[in-house]
Amino acid sequence: MFNFLVAFRFLREGRAQTALILFGITMGIAVQVFLNSLIIGLQRSLIERTVGSAPHITASMPDIVPEASLRTEDGRPALTQVVTNEGNVKPIRDWQPVVGQLEKLGAFKTINVVARGSGFILQGEKSLPVVLQGFELDRADALYHIRRRMTAGRYEVGGNTVLIGTELAAKLRVGVGGSLRITVPSGAADIFPVGGVFDLESQPVNESWVVISLARAQTLFGLDRGVTEVELQVDDVFAAAHWARDLRASFPGLKWLSWQETNAALLAALQSQSSSSYMIQLFVLLSVTLGIASVLAVSVVQKARQIGILKAVGAMTRTVSRIFLIQGAVLGFAGSLLGSLGGWALVRLFLALRPPQAGGFPITVGFGAIVLSVAVATAAGTLAAYVPARRAARLNPIEVIRNG
Amino acid sequence: MAEFIALRDIRKTYGTTVPTHALRGITVDFAAGEYAAIIGRSGSGKTTLLNIMGTLDRPTSGALAVDGEDLFLLDDDGLARFRNRTVGFIFQFHHLLPEFNALENVLIPYRVYRGRVAGDVLRRGKELLERVGVGNRMYNRANNLSGGEQQRVAIARALINEPRIVFADEPTGNLDSDTSEDVKALLRRINSELGTTFLIVTHDRHIAAGCDRVVEIDDGLITRDFRTADASEDENWQKLAPCNCRERERGF
Repeated sequence: MFNFLVAFRFLREGRAQTALILFGITMGIAVQVFLNSLIIGLQRSLIERTVGSAPHITASMPDIVPEASLRTEDGRPALTQVVTNEGNVKPIRDWQPVVGQLEKLGAFKTINVVARGSGFILQGEKSLPVVLQGFELDRADALYHIRRRMTAGRYEVGGNTVLIGTELAAKLRVGVGGSLRITVPSGAADIFPVGGVFDLESQPVNESWVVISLARAQTLFGLDRGVTEVELQVDDVFAAAHWARDLRASFPGLKWLSWQETNAALLAALQSQSSSSYMIQLFVLLSVTLGIASVLAVSVVQKARQIGILKAVGAMTRTVSRIFLIQGAVLGFAGSLLGSLGGWALVRLFLALRPPQAGGFPITVGFGAIVLSVAVATAAGTLAAYVPARRAARLNPIEVIRNG
Repeated sequence: MAEFIALRDIRKTYGTTVPTHALRGITVDFAAGEYAAIIGRSGSGKTTLLNIMGTLDRPTSGALAVDGEDLFLLDDDGLARFRNRTVGFIFQFHHLLPEFNALENVLIPYRVYRGRVAGDVLRRGKELLERVGVGNRMYNRANNLSGGEQQRVAIARALINEPRIVFADEPTGNLDSDTSEDVKALLRRINSELGTTFLIVTHDRHIAAGCDRVVEIDDGLITRDFRTADASEDENWQKLAPCNCRERERGF
């Protein structure tokens, strides 16, 4: 207790010095908290944009690999390249029991099945490639949120009626009531009336998607009631890779891929963004620590007389060193608390200047992040005080007493 | 005479290339409850001796025992504990902590070990400040007190742990003659009331003359060691020659 009293008195007595270093720590931690919140917010919104309306895990049939008839001398297949026919996708025929089991697991936010295939639209001289999405509309809407993003017509398909994106509608200059002639790789072709136009806020989607009923897609592509893909969303997007691994074990006949595997580049970008943010935070923390250390080193010299007196009247070395360790911890703790408040204020300011409605993205200051910041800064402050504390503890009282 | 404080051939040398011999073999005993002055010219080694007896400084060689305990066998923390429990210091320059008020300064030697101050210790601190005559200034910051007041607070601080020995280095060195007389009387009263051993390094002829025993040091050796009761006042006054003890009238 006495250690604390002396530590606080020393800090209070060196008012200007204490205020200055507290200001420094506050600024450092404020930047740290703000930067951390910003990066987390940015990444969250980036991930939300990338996979929020996209499957987190997809299942399809594995590629058909022809059995090699030629073998090398040591028995390995001599075939070096497998050419697959993209247009000739192998369907998942028994998808219904799979979906049934997935539903029973209850771990998936949405489960969608799709009969997907490519086609092209001929209009005059133009030939536009499109992707036909054979959907069960309710299942698909839970994943892609198309219903509320319809710009014209109704979210309904049936028979040959299709829904197309805004970009494709603009290119073809067709709208609700118009019709398209679509040819599929097998050579089959038909006329499809446009029942509605959607805007999924992504140019490639708006330009290439043609939504069609699942049943029509199945007959069009000759899938025989099968689907080409089962698409899943999980609650925690980062758990997707883990789930994919589990599903691979449970359903070995299917090829399961998580979004992390199909978006490796995005993940690498996010990771390097995180690392650079950590680097900046580390350097902020380092300068905070060095600041505390240098202020306390000066303080030991300034308070040499007091330390000498305390030792003369019987303070033990550990009492003296604790006085300085406490000062370091108090500076780190108080500074990081103020800094967290400052970081929160910066986040509010940022949000006021760039509200999420106006193209910004939502940022929140996590309570856990603040607790971590305060804990780390307090520990760093204590650590910073270590060398000054040792010097103070080793001070010989006689030097001070003798020299007045 | 029981040897409460026993010094055996204490030597202290400063520097290695050009050694300065501050103490060149001091052997002396002090009894419990003794009220003794250590006098000598500036640089004679008397303060060094006091600091060694107070364990603030270690001798180059020699032994020191207090109440039969060989002190220089203790480590730094052991010595700190000894200083805290057994010894009170009154320094020439008061050495109060400016961050604390008078009462807090008095309580520091107690709190350094025991942390929280119990009611009776707080009462003792206040009583001590009353007794040294600064009871009305106990909540003033140390640096808002006059030199005399600071010295009185320092005396109260030296006594808070009820030490068996008080080492005083020029306790009146920085005080005017009236205050100096008060402090002298105060120390004497504490000695007779509590039986506390006092070893006082002084330049002040009046203080030395008021002690029971005078030990004179010159050039690191004891040159005279006498009891004031063994001679008349005039003889004592002559022994405390002006070359050893400055006349107070000349000031400091």
